[in-house]
Amino acid sequence: MGQDVFEITINAVKMVAIFLLMVQLVPVLVWVERRGSAFIQNRFGPNRVGPLGLTQLLADAVKFLFKEEYIPNGANRLLFYGAPVMALVPGALAFGSLPLSMPIKIEPFSISILGMSIATTKAYTFAFQSFDIGIGIVFVLGVSSLGAYALLMAGWSSNNKYSLYGALRASAQMISYELALGLSLVGVLLLYNTFTFSEMINLQQGPLTINVMGAVKEISFLPNWGIFFQPLGAIILFSAMFAETNRLPFDLPEAEAELVAGYHTAYGGLKMLMFYIGEYGHMLVASGLMVTFYFGGYNLPLIDSAQVVEHFVGHGLSANAAAVMGALALFVVFLAKVLVFLWIFIWVRWSLPRFRYDQLMDLGWKTMLPWALANTIVTAVVILVLRNKWVH
Amino acid sequence: MENSLLFYVLSTLIVLFSFGMLVAANPVFSALFLALTMVGLAGLFFHLEAYFIAGVQLIVYAGAVMVLFVMVLMLFDLKKEIAPFSRGTLAGFVKLVCAGALFGLIIGAAKHSTEMMMITPEQAASQSGYAVEMKALATLLFTKYLLAFEVLGVLLLLIAVGVVAVSRAKGGTHVRS
Amino acid sequence: MFALEGLKYVGLNHYLVLSGILFTIGMLAVLLRRNLIVILMGVELMLNAVNLSFVAFSHFSANINGQLMVFFVMTVAAAEAGVGLALAVTLFKTFREVNIRLFEQLKG
Repeated sequence: MGQDVFEITINAVKMVAIFLLMVQLVPVLVWVERRGSAFIQNRFGPNRVGPLGLTQLLADAVKFLFKEEYIPNGANRLLFYGAPVMALVPGALAFGSLPLSMPIKIEPFSISILGMSIATTKAYTFAFQSFDIGIGIVFVLGVSSLGAYALLMAGWSSNNKYSLYGALRASAQMISYELALGLSLVGVLLLYNTFTFSEMINLQQGPLTINVMGAVKEISFLPNWGIFFQPLGAIILFSAMFAETNRLPFDLPEAEAELVAGYHTAYGGLKMLMFYIGEYGHMLVASGLMVTFYFGGYNLPLIDSAQVVEHFVGHGLSANAAAVMGALALFVVFLAKVLVFLWIFIWVRWSLPRFRYDQLMDLGWKTMLPWALANTIVTAVVILVLRNKWVH
Repeated sequence: MENSLLFYVLSTLIVLFSFGMLVAANPVFSALFLALTMVGLAGLFFHLEAYFIAGVQLIVYAGAVMVLFVMVLMLFDLKKEIAPFSRGTLAGFVKLVCAGALFGLIIGAAKHSTEMMMITPEQAASQSGYAVEMKALATLLFTKYLLAFEVLGVLLLLIAVGVVAVSRAKGGTHVRS
Repeated sequence: MFALEGLKYVGLNHYLVLSGILFTIGMLAVLLRRNLIVILMGVELMLNAVNLSFVAFSHFSANINGQLMVFFVMTVAAAEAGVGLALAVTLFKTFREVNIRLFEQLKG
């Protein structure tokens, strides 16, 4: 956690703040989803409450809070209440381990009250993430694979056949697509030669550098992003993420024409909202992973994070203030990149029809898995042949 | 001191969860308790600085194997079992005694072997800064244990084929038997 | 005997005792339960107990061979779970239950 009170306090506040950030992004995303779907389908969408319908969210939240508590007959109470809470856990834990911005380096500064210097602090480095675990990718994969429990618990405890069907479909789908997802990440691991997110992001700084048999070629107008080295892996990862989040075109678990609403048929009010938060949290993590692996993370294209801090120093800020401002600026960059992917999630949902179940399984096992394997092998062979790491 | 506190909290939880697995009459609860046990063990692996093993424990056990167990149990939809435990007071007593004897044996062996290994708290404390690099693990896996690794791959392929053959319904995947 | 000094420092012995407890509980599940799948879960718990002792040994003797053994054990355990569950599903299709009572009907 930290060495002294100051560091521990900051780290604790950081954890809570990042969790709240995830939860607070959900209403905004719901609004974007409703307005976006209306735009795509040539409707208006919610536009009566407040400017652009923005305060519709508040009205919805109040509605969710005051709904009647309802438990189906013969339901298992413990699991029925536990499932919505469980739905929040994987998204929150995985989002917490993503670096949202550059680490803030604080140099020693003196605390003074009324002009009298009381104490001088030590130098600190705060990572802009809830917790930094050395095995970033493995941790995120492990935690997000726990998401299946929430669906299974919800489906089984509702004592409802539609819920059970939805839950079984969902878990079968998640297990199937986890394979393609994990395999598509092997290419990333081979490319960056590390498991840690922040190191990956650092490796993606600067212009595109290709190292062919020792001859270094630099393309100055393109950033050194992973997408240029792993296009197939990126596509497979992103498609598998759609299946993991149970969104269209993979939303078989809640196919409303067949299963009423799938695993959360029997849920209403706040408990239903928690499933929503879980789903959007999963989307956030998926988008964050895409940005981190393939699109340079929080960095601006072609600009190093150190340059951003220098820019703020050049505007007359002290070193510590410049570090904080730089981190905040890059955080905005990260959010912007993530929002692009979130918009693609929404766009796809309102554009594509749903797969049939056998098509879904065929796509996962017969198309994506072989392509992911091929991607792994080709990446490994190319890296072996070119001998050197591609990214300096 | 914080470290030992973490160990005691985690190990108490693990023992409670695994005991829950043993006594829960409903097999679905048994499976969920076992999943919690697996997550707790992953926590202990983190504590032991085996980070990669902890992550793999989460992915393989908690994320895949136990989800499969829970899924199959829910597919059967057994609400409550008729006889969750085996019958016979005498047989049960003998089984308990056997388990107790085995436990004693394990503890005795552990105590003895640790005495032989002579790991004192001081020595162990000097090693607590030791963390395994994943690179070291991978190097060992692909050099010393390469043959075992390949055999494992063949085993997994065999298992996959065998499982499909065993669980296949006649006349296609969607036909009710 | 088991003084407070022993509790304060967590060493290899503590992990081995925990591993022994888990192994015994797993074995009791195998011996006492009548549901095939719970019996399989008992086997999984026993394998996990062994994993714990492997990792503990590896940590306290600063030797990573133990962690690789865990790797192998996990793979074999996953394979075993797959086969066991496939058999259970087949049995359930035939007998409509997975209780080991069904083995009483296997004569013929």
